[in-house]
Amino acid sequence: MKTLLSIIGGIAGFYQGNAAGIIGTTIVAIIVVMCLSAPALTEYDPNKRVARGHEPPSAEHIMGSTRAGKDVWSQALYGGRVSLMVAFAAATVTSIIALAIGVSAGYFGGRIDETLMAVTNVMLVFPQLPLLIILAAFLGNVGPFIIALILGLTSWPWGARVMRSQTLAIRNKEFITAAEIMGESKWRIIVVEIMPNLISLAAGMFVGTALYAIGAQAGLEFLGLGDPTVISWGTMLYWAQSSAAFFVGAWWDFLVPGTFIALIGGGLALINISIDEVSNPKLKTGSYLKKWRRLNAEVQAKRREA
Amino acid sequence: MAFILRRLVFYSVAIFVAITFNFIMPRLMPGDPVDAMFAAAGGKLPPETLAAYQEMLGFVDAPLWQQYLQYLKSVVTFDLGPSIMLFPTPVTQVLSNTLPWTVFLAGTATILAIFIGCFIGLYASYNRGGFVDKYVPVFWQFVASMPQAVTALLIFFVFALTLKWFPLGFGFNPDMEPAVTPGFIGTILYHAVLPLVTLVLSMIATWVFTMRNSMVNVLGEDYIAMAKAKGLSARRIMTHYAARNAILPVVTAVSMALGFAVAGQVFIETVYNYPGVGQLIIKAVAARDYPLMQACFLLIVICVLIANFIADILYVWLDPRLRK
Repeated sequence: MKTLLSIIGGIAGFYQGNAAGIIGTTIVAIIVVMCLSAPALTEYDPNKRVARGHEPPSAEHIMGSTRAGKDVWSQALYGGRVSLMVAFAAATVTSIIALAIGVSAGYFGGRIDETLMAVTNVMLVFPQLPLLIILAAFLGNVGPFIIALILGLTSWPWGARVMRSQTLAIRNKEFITAAEIMGESKWRIIVVEIMPNLISLAAGMFVGTALYAIGAQAGLEFLGLGDPTVISWGTMLYWAQSSAAFFVGAWWDFLVPGTFIALIGGGLALINISIDEVSNPKLKTGSYLKKWRRLNAEVQAKRREA
Repeated sequence: MAFILRRLVFYSVAIFVAITFNFIMPRLMPGDPVDAMFAAAGGKLPPETLAAYQEMLGFVDAPLWQQYLQYLKSVVTFDLGPSIMLFPTPVTQVLSNTLPWTVFLAGTATILAIFIGCFIGLYASYNRGGFVDKYVPVFWQFVASMPQAVTALLIFFVFALTLKWFPLGFGFNPDMEPAVTPGFIGTILYHAVLPLVTLVLSMIATWVFTMRNSMVNVLGEDYIAMAKAKGLSARRIMTHYAARNAILPVVTAVSMALGFAVAGQVFIETVYNYPGVGQLIIKAVAARDYPLMQACFLLIVICVLIANFIADILYVWLDPRLRK
């Protein structure tokens, strides 16, 4: 109970006076809830032909229809489930790998550190998207599950580096030395002593990777490398592009999934900025600074008078 | 010098890994890519070529290490065989036709984004807590968080399709004869505007944040307090004392950003139908042209590594501590 309260207190503290965090979380929450409650928000089956092709938005089909006569609004909601699942699955896989590699490299040091970091640096220097394109091309039209997996397995290097440097910073603190002297096992030190100190960084990494994964998945599918029969925001863009929605003036066909992607991306980015500012208060801007300036000016004025 | 040498070794290893990746991928895949390729090519190819591709993609009986050496040799001698999609043009020639476009686009966009972004970041840190500091970086972050495919589609729709201010595609006006004339350079620039703007928009945020955060850290240093105590103007402190030191993390960030620029390139070239490597790799994938696709990948990797190396040299030049 006590821990629960302290967690709630921590979360409340995070959001206090943190406009970017509040706005970002609200945007993401609204979209997630909308996608989860898709059946309540639309009566149409996203896979069924329910209208004529490229019908403009109307009372019946509020976001119009695709070339194949499917309801765009319903597709965006149901497709969002797939896109969000992929993003969060990829972010989870990435966070676990990055934590494992970064913390072991930082804590064990020596040969282990050198080997792990050599692998990480080589992975880091490769441009990711071309790598993903080649992988997807050889694997054939990849479904959402495979996309989540390859995104998760290829995007950890940056996170691993961050985790490693943070672990290095923590490793020489007294409480770790104390734990070592007390004879705690290495695993206990890693999991119980070090990991809790990495939580805010890990949260930032999770959000950052989810943001990246939303874009990368949409991109791969837009380029036609995904499985076009699965409905997601990326495949909606793909179908809009391949049915020349632009040239026939069916703007809603690509604008709707595009807006969803842009909004969720913006929301996640805002959360990410606010996490950065909380873990590094130096970067803060806004009302606190104004207050500081005003107080500082008053102090200076008083000094001058004196 | 030791630093540069170490980086050179590192990049050689990275290139080696990329080549090995190219070698392993087709051999790991289920099924026979050569068959799929030939089905896609629709019987345009003579049987000798089939045998050559089978050898290249690993469907021969020779032991693996021998195949590997063979592959290494073909990469080192730039003998990557003919492209399937554009048979019988050699892969290397297809690539050399497209590479200048991509380098032009990615290079110009990166440099523009660095200048604009660093300037905004500098200004934001100069006026800590002001309007620009509060809203402008967040705004750019919001813009950058849209996937490049979406940004490209939006800009294309508004400025090329609806307003008709800019052309619908290609690197230059196809009615004009390529030549070094003001008119032709003009059409190249005109066609590059939208792709450049899209790429720059998606990259500015990185630089705004890198520069601002780096400035914020530098401004806490003692020598800044010293400069203030000497009574130097705020502007001089910003440009001559803080910015010069804050630029270092910006140079390190170049290597990260380049991968991002290349990724953006793929989407942007596809949307704007721009004749670069990014569009080529997608076309090659669609046509199941494995040799061309792999060569594109290798070329992109090598370009990114070279750019990284240039950033390293710049870093040594800027930071005397590394020059021992």
